[in-house]
Amino acid sequence: MTTNPVIWVASLLTIAAFSYLYKENEFYRAMEHLYVGVAAGYTMVMGYQNVIAKAWDPFTKKGQVIAIVPALLGLLLFAPLISRRYAWLRRFPLAIVVGLGAALHARSSVVQEFVVQIRSTMISLTTIDNIIVAIGVLSVLTYFFFTFKQNAVTKTSAEIGKWVIMITFGAAFGNGIMGRISLLIGRLMLLFRDWLPLVKTQ
Amino acid sequence: MDILERLGRIDNRIIYTLLVIVLLVPLAKPIGLPVSVGKYTQKSFEVMDKLQAGDIIMLDMGYSISGASDVEPQTIAVIKHMMKKNVRIIFTSCVQEGGSIVENLMAPHEKAGKKYGEDWVNLGYLAGGENAIAATVRDLKKAYPKDFRGNSTDSLPLLSTVKSVADVKLYIFFTTQNADMYVRQVTPYKIPVVGGLISTISLQAEPYVQAGQLVGIMSGLRGGAEYETLMKDPGFGLASMDAQSMGHVLIVLFIIFANISYFVQRSRDAAKRKKGA
Repeated sequence: MTTNPVIWVASLLTIAAFSYLYKENEFYRAMEHLYVGVAAGYTMVMGYQNVIAKAWDPFTKKGQVIAIVPALLGLLLFAPLISRRYAWLRRFPLAIVVGLGAALHARSSVVQEFVVQIRSTMISLTTIDNIIVAIGVLSVLTYFFFTFKQNAVTKTSAEIGKWVIMITFGAAFGNGIMGRISLLIGRLMLLFRDWLPLVKTQ
Repeated sequence: MDILERLGRIDNRIIYTLLVIVLLVPLAKPIGLPVSVGKYTQKSFEVMDKLQAGDIIMLDMGYSISGASDVEPQTIAVIKHMMKKNVRIIFTSCVQEGGSIVENLMAPHEKAGKKYGEDWVNLGYLAGGENAIAATVRDLKKAYPKDFRGNSTDSLPLLSTVKSVADVKLYIFFTTQNADMYVRQVTPYKIPVVGGLISTISLQAEPYVQAGQLVGIMSGLRGGAEYETLMKDPGFGLASMDAQSMGHVLIVLFIIFANISYFVQRSRDAAKRKKGA
């Protein structure tokens, strides 16, 4: 058995987390609170380091005044904590964050997620794969026609579209299960390979 | 209560116990089930295998610790591959744990002689999600005045020729979030982009490969095992594949039994109602 204290702590906390599967208990709750506390502490440290490295040091050591501006705007987010009278000040940084984020997102998504994706479905129908892609796209689009009464052709197409959507959901769910099993394997490897040497792999 | 009814009402704790046993046995005694390589992992491997010694790539560590078991095997395999080929790596991260994960993964390579600042650099975490990725790929040193170890990025020889992502040969990201933000911000620079994704989101990224926006993707633990197969260097991914497969078999069996139980019960209830009427 390992003498590494990090693996001991990680393993005992893993067991405490898994104990919830049997029933709610004190160990699970203690682990849950510890996790939240550690995550909050880590986030604070990383945030502090980011402010020092990206704003404070460039401002104080290199005289880059522009570097301190985002940090000052960030401080305005705390205005409601100082006085309700100045609470409106937080709207400035929020507006900038929302505006910049939306603009940055929109700038590229029109091309990358719309134009390029549409272009990639304009394919020659020479292979089975391409035919399936074309039928899938057209039928799913028909399924989402809500603005006019559907006739027999569009109804059939919409029905095919519904099946395509359900198959996609099934595949996504299968991938989801695969991902969860992988996470469980990771934990089992910690418990039975790194902590208790029952499993011998690389 | 007959067996079919019991199967439909099986206690969750029995399912958990069976799942753990079914996963543990192949881990302890591997069966050696064959692992086929998917075309998207193949494409990812091919583009990375073509890199030459001295080439620089950028690698974004976008997975959190909670999803590491699924994504880390691919990351370890790719880093090993790149280090073996003497390809130099600039590590960035858009998740808080990223910098620490890189230090852990690179520790054995540093011990083996890879020089920090020349063969690899760890720039650590940059807050802002997609905005951070956009800033990083546009002007690396402006986004990161300092690296994870506190060095000024101006002092790192590896970064002397790199201003933006356009100056590297390849961009690869490992993520538990989504591929969309990388596609939006990195693909406009016209360099090959490869994605390593947690299984749950890999399906959403496939249209990007079909459209040529991503060269290839690797999906979860399976992607790691496939990459290890191509490298002919078995690691954690391949070691876990038997357990993964057996776990899936058990879940499929449970789904089948539960459905049989459900339909039998439903037909019995219908027959009872008919009798009563």
